[in-house]
Amino acid sequence: MRDGTISRIPITLRVALAMGVLMIVLGMVASQQVLRSLSRLHDDRLREIARLHVEGLSVALGPLVLHKDVWEVYDTLDRARSASDGQRMLFTVVADDRNRVLAATDPVRAPVDSNAAPFSEDASDLSGLTASGNAPQVRVRAPLLVAGRTVGQIVTEIDVGDLLAERQRVTLYLLLANAGATALLAFAGYFLVARMLKPVTVLAQHMDSAGGAPGRIPESEIPSSDTELARLLRTFNTMTGAIDARAEAEKRLAERERFVSLGRLSSSLAHEINNPLGGLLNSVDTIRTYANRPDVVQKSVELLERGLVHLKDVSRAILDENRLDRGGLPLRRTDFDDLKLLFEPEAARKGQRLDWQVRADMADLASLPAAPVRQIVLNLLLNASAAAPEGGRIGLSVGPHEGGVELTITDDGRGLSAQDLDRLMSSAPVAPGGGVGLRLVHDLVAGLNGRIRHIRDGGRTSLVVFLPRAEAA
Amino acid sequence: MRRRELIGAVAASALLPLPSVLRAQPLFRLALTPVFLDNDAAVIERLRAALAAGMERDIDLVQRRTYQEITGALLDGSVDAAWVCGYPFLQHRGQLSLLGVPVWRGQPRYQSYLIASAGDAATGLADLRGGMHAFSDPDSNSGFLVTASDLARMGETPDSFFARTIFTWGHRNVVRAVAGGLVRSGSVDGYVWEALAAVEPDLVARTRVVSRSEWLGFPPFAARRGRMADADILSLQRALLGMDRTAAGREALDLLFLDRIAEPDVRLFDGIAARMAELGQAG
Repeated sequence: MRDGTISRIPITLRVALAMGVLMIVLGMVASQQVLRSLSRLHDDRLREIARLHVEGLSVALGPLVLHKDVWEVYDTLDRARSASDGQRMLFTVVADDRNRVLAATDPVRAPVDSNAAPFSEDASDLSGLTASGNAPQVRVRAPLLVAGRTVGQIVTEIDVGDLLAERQRVTLYLLLANAGATALLAFAGYFLVARMLKPVTVLAQHMDSAGGAPGRIPESEIPSSDTELARLLRTFNTMTGAIDARAEAEKRLAERERFVSLGRLSSSLAHEINNPLGGLLNSVDTIRTYANRPDVVQKSVELLERGLVHLKDVSRAILDENRLDRGGLPLRRTDFDDLKLLFEPEAARKGQRLDWQVRADMADLASLPAAPVRQIVLNLLLNASAAAPEGGRIGLSVGPHEGGVELTITDDGRGLSAQDLDRLMSSAPVAPGGGVGLRLVHDLVAGLNGRIRHIRDGGRTSLVVFLPRAEAA
Repeated sequence: MRRRELIGAVAASALLPLPSVLRAQPLFRLALTPVFLDNDAAVIERLRAALAAGMERDIDLVQRRTYQEITGALLDGSVDAAWVCGYPFLQHRGQLSLLGVPVWRGQPRYQSYLIASAGDAATGLADLRGGMHAFSDPDSNSGFLVTASDLARMGETPDSFFARTIFTWGHRNVVRAVAGGLVRSGSVDGYVWEALAAVEPDLVARTRVVSRSEWLGFPPFAARRGRMADADILSLQRALLGMDRTAAGREALDLLFLDRIAEPDVRLFDGIAARMAELGQAG
């Protein structure tokens, strides 16, 4: 939809431009019509002038031509020429019935008794006369009739330079006026439409203000007159508010997700703590019972110590996971040991086998912050465990990869649903319900400029998280 | 009836020389051959006014297209007197008498000019053979007779010598026809050509004089011989001869480029008579 060049122009401009183009087309059509009428009018006027001119001469010349009276024909033409001096008649030749010249206004050009054909040949009849040839003079011929009999012919050149000039002038003025009017209409149309569509522009501006997030339109920019558009803008504001509220809710939700993963672990961890407690209490009983036997006491104390150390490690791992002030701590191999400690009971509970491979060393890990990476790995492991069947296989592999660290979490479950993939891979708003932890992983990976790949191959699902090494700030 | 009215009018004017009576007289009609600027209404009006003042009565100046019409009107009494060409005067010499002859540039004579367009190289009549020629009027001395008689001397007629001849019914028209290029050459009244040179220099500049005839009698004022004793004719003659002595007359003469009107002398027209004889016409 957004591929055409034209479609990239804002709609306000497009509509205004369309209006302008429409006005120009309208102006051109109108001009063309008027020019045609003008041309017809000029031709009619020219024909009328020529008709009056020729008819006037014909009436006077008819009898003279009948008698072949050279002088009288010349005298009549000469007086007509002098009378119209500087006016229309440029040249007139009168021929007899054999088309020989009787007289002409310019006898040198058309001598008496010469052939008149060269003059009459390219002359047009009165009815066919037109001024559209752009020639400043037209030549017209008409028969000379006396009592219904053709006694000769008159060919006259009429000066239409003034008509032509007037026509050109009128054409020019008309075109200028029309161009002006068209431009005015086009501009007026543009401004009108632009003004009418201003709320749309405002809407468009607020739609993607501040980097893609819709912004609220101030009440002052909402037109008071246009109820439809005002309603549209207010609806937009309401929607913006709803989007803000939703974003806020999502943020709070993500915050909570951090604890959800631990919540999910809590029962396993309770077992983890509870199981050694029985052994530890037994050890206490043993010590009490065999207090006089140093070897037994010694052995029981060692057992007690191991159990307490384990409990201490578990509780420290839980505390570490929930500590909010660890932001600055770098990632270390021990973080993965902690994760293993936390996750192992969950996997064990479901009889799942864990492939744990951490090949990265201090140099690879140190540039990454510990807290988000732990969150990412723990959430993905919990998801993998949930997806994998009882007695299934779950894998974690950590290793250096092209200037960063690659974490691969695999399981042999049924794979991620489209909805879960959406949560994990895209920033699109999430539908309610489903695994909230995946969106948290997505946001955390995005926050570390990393990327997630999803591979489904031979019944195994692999989620590959690449985290680039952070530049030393 | 006309004569009775006239006699009555003369008698009345003798008894009661009052303006009201003057208006009651029948109109005196003087015909003008198209010798001169017959298109200039102002000149005609000045001449009419001067003669009316001189005769102390209203007169009408009559113009016709051809000399023949004027001569006919004079002979049948339609007009009382006429300014005619020497040629028709001689043609009807038995019936007409002279009233006066205009004096132009100091003498009562003029010439016939053979003219061609300004760029024409012709030096004489012989060079104009095969061209188109404009005559003024078949009854004009300067506008026809002179050239026709010259051609007769060469053993030619206008129709044999020229490709085509046309009559333009006026000396000014001959100049127009030549100047406009309608014809190659023309026969024109020298007095008219010279007068036009002053009045319409642009028109005349497009023509040039190829040859001039000998000096011939200037077109005279004439009346029917039988009416020479009539009071109104005598009155006209007095007015004509006295034109240069009145302001109005002087003004009219100036417009006509004439000095005065002189006493007639029929011998002035001997030259024309000689040319008529060469064409085989009796004087």
